[in-house]
Amino acid sequence: MTADARGAVTFRFGGREVRGREGDTIAMALWAAGEPVLRRSSSLGAPRGLFCNMGVCYECLVAVDGRTVRACTTVVREGMQVEPGGRP
Amino acid sequence: MTDARVLDADVGVVGAGPAGMVASARLAAAGLSVVVLDEGQRAGGQIFRQLPGGAPHPARGAEPPSHARGDTLLAAFADRDVTLRRGATVWDARPGRLWFEQDGASWLLRCRRIVLAPGAYDRCVPFPGWTLPGVVTAGALQVMVRGFGVVPGQRALVAGSGPLLLPTVTALTGAGVEVVAALEASSRWRALRALGGVLGNGGRRREAAWYARRLLGAGVRLRWGWTVFACEGDGRVQRAVIGKVDRDGRPRRDTARTIEVDVVGAGFGLVPSIELGLRLGCAARFVAARGGHCLVVDGAQRTSVPEVLAAGEICGVGGAEVAMAEGDVVAGTILHELRGIAPPAAAGRRAAAERRAADRLLAAFAPLPGLHELATPATIVCRCEDVTLQQARDAAALHGTSARAIKLGCRAGMGPCQARICGPSLQALAAGRPDQPMDLPVVQLPVRPVTTATILAAPAG
Repeated sequence: MTADARGAVTFRFGGREVRGREGDTIAMALWAAGEPVLRRSSSLGAPRGLFCNMGVCYECLVAVDGRTVRACTTVVREGMQVEPGGRP
Repeated sequence: MTDARVLDADVGVVGAGPAGMVASARLAAAGLSVVVLDEGQRAGGQIFRQLPGGAPHPARGAEPPSHARGDTLLAAFADRDVTLRRGATVWDARPGRLWFEQDGASWLLRCRRIVLAPGAYDRCVPFPGWTLPGVVTAGALQVMVRGFGVVPGQRALVAGSGPLLLPTVTALTGAGVEVVAALEASSRWRALRALGGVLGNGGRRREAAWYARRLLGAGVRLRWGWTVFACEGDGRVQRAVIGKVDRDGRPRRDTARTIEVDVVGAGFGLVPSIELGLRLGCAARFVAARGGHCLVVDGAQRTSVPEVLAAGEICGVGGAEVAMAEGDVVAGTILHELRGIAPPAAAGRRAAAERRAADRLLAAFAPLPGLHELATPATIVCRCEDVTLQQARDAAALHGTSARAIKLGCRAGMGPCQARICGPSLQALAAGRPDQPMDLPVVQLPVRPVTTATILAAPAG
């Protein structure tokens, strides 16, 4: 492996500070930070996380600035406020 | 304001994977204006994944020989005057019109020809614990490693069926992950029949040899006739129960054993992404070994709808070689129709030959009906709506066994994934008819979930 030449991107997930890397999606930054749980399921409230990683399954829904987005298709930005998702 | 959100082009291409890239690069080289819409952040599709700039690159030789074609293709694509719209979600279409959302804005692309090359996604078979965080699709693991340079975990289980299990395993071992078990549900006996499709084709022969060497080097043995029975853990996956299946995929419970893992990738083949084709009114047919419902095309890759063409997985799962060959045929057809240039006969022959080879190989991995016995009554079948197998069965008993009746009876398939994940197995599970083709999905607007604002702001076609 070559060295990682990307800059750090710091954002918040549910109040916790997370350091990702430029070009990461929210889902990849959180997975790399050891956080696979992204939301609770709609009626059972069970923990759910990334599943398809290509924008198809909508399991990784999170809220960014009040908007529901897919964590696997949304790239992290410095200072982004991400909250665990609910339903769209 | 609205005018600024309308684009015009000769050709609108959906998908920047192998099929879309080949078609658009050739069309642009001939002077046509081409706009490519893709949901990803970079061209390449799911197979020719590109890492973000500056991300750590794996050592040379970590990718199978066929992926070298991706580098050539990406370079050719980047050289051409093709407009690539990244992060674009197409949510409605009719001939000559594609509506899409990009960065929260609502766009309309007007074009003389539509090329559908949206690819495919993992086929999921529900099993107890498949909703636990840490259990993902096989494709998700490949995207993680090959698309983002993320190491998925320390101890992985890869289970499912089909040729894509191999690049999933090699991506993991290349990233330093210990692959505790690699399980192919299909039997070795069944796979032997596919050997004709592999050995008759030089490229596929080299590819198979490369995988064999990589697995041997990493000390991973692919176990035929095995699969994942269940995943367990407290809030995330910590253990997996694995075991043997019979020739039809039925779990042999007496063979079950538990292994410790921190990540699981499951993929039972692929499902063609046909919903835009259905929205456009294109004829479809069911071919089990090609992943289920796929669009019907003629030898020139024309669908049943005038001015709408299709290439690659949407015409039936076949892999990148098929997709590239069919993308080439698409370009030839459009150049013939719009520019009067006679299409080369060799392109059509090559695409047909690639398709035949892929069909022979994939016949060994057609979905096994017995795998539907992995789910118990309490297993979630629809992840979006938290619907259990028992609830889906009750709905089928009460309302009928059509896909529509099951959906209306228990809400399975009504969530944001629009039945892409549960659909391929829901009817078989709920109605207890694993051997029959499922109903053609009913496509509703928007074809992909987009905001109401996007729909309201959509420019009239």
